[in-house]
Amino acid sequence: MKISVNTEIALTYLSSRKKQTAVAAMGVMFGISMFIFMQSLMKGTNDYFEKASFSSTAHIRMYSENKVADAHMLNSFLKDNSEKILINPKQLTQSQGITNPYGIIQNIKKNKQVVAVTPQVTATVIYSSGSVNINGTVAGVSIDEEDKMFDVQTNMVTGDLHDLNRVNNGLLIGKGVADKLSLHVGDNITVRAGTGSPMIMRVIGIFATTIKQIDESKSYANIVQAQNLLGKDRSYVTDIKVNLADYNNAPKVARDLETITGYKAEDWVQSNEQLKAAFKIRAIILNSVIAVILLVAGFGIYNILNMTIYEKIKEIAILKATGFSGGSVVSIFLQQAAYIGVMGGFVGVIFGFVLTFMVSKIYIGAGTLKYLPMSFYVPHYIEAVTFGILTTIAAGYFPARKASKVDPVSIIRG
Amino acid sequence: MENSALKTKNVTKYFHDPVTIPVLKNINLDVKKGEFVSIVGKSGCGKSTLLYVLSTMDSDYEGELEINGTLVTGLSLNALAKIRNESIGFVFQFHYLLPDFSCLKNVMIPGLRLGKYSVKEVEQRAYEKLKMFGVEELALKNANRLSGGQQQRVAIARALINDPAIIMGDEPTGNLDSKNTGIVFDLFQKLSKEYGQTLITVTHDEDFAKRSDRIIEMADGEILKH
Ligand SMILES: Nc1ncnc2c1ncn2[C@@H]1O[C@H](COP(=O)(O)OP(=O)(O)OP(=O)(O)O)[C@@H](O)[C@H]1O
Ligand SMILES: [Mg+2]
Repeated sequence: MKISVNTEIALTYLSSRKKQTAVAAMGVMFGISMFIFMQSLMKGTNDYFEKASFSSTAHIRMYSENKVADAHMLNSFLKDNSEKILINPKQLTQSQGITNPYGIIQNIKKNKQVVAVTPQVTATVIYSSGSVNINGTVAGVSIDEEDKMFDVQTNMVTGDLHDLNRVNNGLLIGKGVADKLSLHVGDNITVRAGTGSPMIMRVIGIFATTIKQIDESKSYANIVQAQNLLGKDRSYVTDIKVNLADYNNAPKVARDLETITGYKAEDWVQSNEQLKAAFKIRAIILNSVIAVILLVAGFGIYNILNMTIYEKIKEIAILKATGFSGGSVVSIFLQQAAYIGVMGGFVGVIFGFVLTFMVSKIYIGAGTLKYLPMSFYVPHYIEAVTFGILTTIAAGYFPARKASKVDPVSIIRG
Repeated sequence: MENSALKTKNVTKYFHDPVTIPVLKNINLDVKKGEFVSIVGKSGCGKSTLLYVLSTMDSDYEGELEINGTLVTGLSLNALAKIRNESIGFVFQFHYLLPDFSCLKNVMIPGLRLGKYSVKEVEQRAYEKLKMFGVEELALKNANRLSGGQQQRVAIARALINDPAIIMGDEPTGNLDSKNTGIVFDLFQKLSKEYGQTLITVTHDEDFAKRSDRIIEMADGEILKH
């Protein structure tokens, strides 16, 4: 391989000051490995919380919004445009539930992004056992589809969730509900919805999520049982839950579904504002830490090159006197920066991986979180190397340009 | 065909530190191809300053400079660097080698920069040049381990590596004993007579000056006699 004379000079300068080169490369290594480690931890954490949140929230939830009658509706009904004033407007009756849910489900399934759709009947209820009453909600679902979408199985404490299909009036209750009412599998529980008559149901299982609030109020029933609870017929559905191939598309798909069906479609972003906010804050923290790390690494390189140039100013003058152009001088010093960056980057990637791997074995054991959530995500490594090299080149450019501006005569004169 | 290797028209240069004083005053000079000229004059009269202007390293002057018949005054720094690399060899008053490199590499570097010959050929040529000055056995020694005279000879070898049309020396034999001064002089003469290379040397050595083709005498930034 024929290496250019600029490269040869750059390499000679690097190897004639091995210690400083090593220190500068270590700065880059540290920067890049920290970059990888922080990104992995952040993404791991975000993924964990996202997954936890999607274990109870669908990507999109469709429901009928409670609408209050207004003048606009009256106008379109009467087909006349005069001003009308409604005194004491009431909620519309059809705002309860979704009309023709199964037709709408067929429609939703036509969207290519959609991977799962399931209807649900949500009933606000009062659980009672003995003399204790607590408020809660019953989700009337098809438990098989629910399990597919939200992995209910992993939250099971006791019992078999498939019993919901077998036991006529079965109820799968949250651990909080079970504790408060002191219930076990096989026990009876009285459930009363606002409009329906009380029903005696049978506890077939107990689940526990990471969210206390849910465990203390939620229960699953067969969709038919929930309809019975509310005293509604088989076509009564309050929510349609939709999961997508990529949940990041949820806001857009939600708008599409709204236009197609005419019902309100709430995407997970809307219902998890605080989750989104937490992601954003973490991203800001992460980016500032990374910026500081890279800045420090960049300063290391800037420093060593500045020192080299200070020491080698006579030699730079000689090179220019013997016909090296400003561009060649820039190339000589920029190459030094680049080699430091590549060396540091290479070791940094390895070190970053090892660090991430080791930390991912730290036992946490809080709730369902056993180990520190670390992600091993290839783009992080690519980003780290790209950022590392960019920083290196930026840090090397200024000293290199300074070197190229050296006036040979004034130096050689002494 | 133009026969002039180097020509100046009214070259004037000022130093502004601490007060503006002219160091070179209306220098008009014409050096023919293949000529071997010596510049002499008292210390501080402006010999080095003139040589830096002639070598294109210093472009901060008034007047015009022609090299091989082309006007180089006002060319870009990159263009000037190229001209220096290709057609000017310079030996500094204080031998300046690159201390991190071997003598051989020092001689080779301007040749590698030029890129006219392969690395092998450049190395071969560098060896030959070192041999001419009797320092070939120092080839692989680091440049900062040499005596002053040895360094100066390596520096002269480096100036010759690209067979430049013009070789300039600022007291190139200042550190050499009479035997080595003789060797350098004979070689310079051979370069001018046999290879048609032009030599411009500043010297305090009267004998050296007298034996060259022409003496240019300077005083106070002016040319007295040429
Ligand atoms: N950077 C500078 N600023 C101001 N004056 C300078 C500068 N460099 C040189 N001079 C002055 O310019 C004059 C010419 O200097 P130059 O180096 O050309 O002399 P010289 O003839 O080469 O002397 P020597 O034989 O001792 O090498 C001197 O008087 C010197 O003091
Ligand atoms: Mg001088």
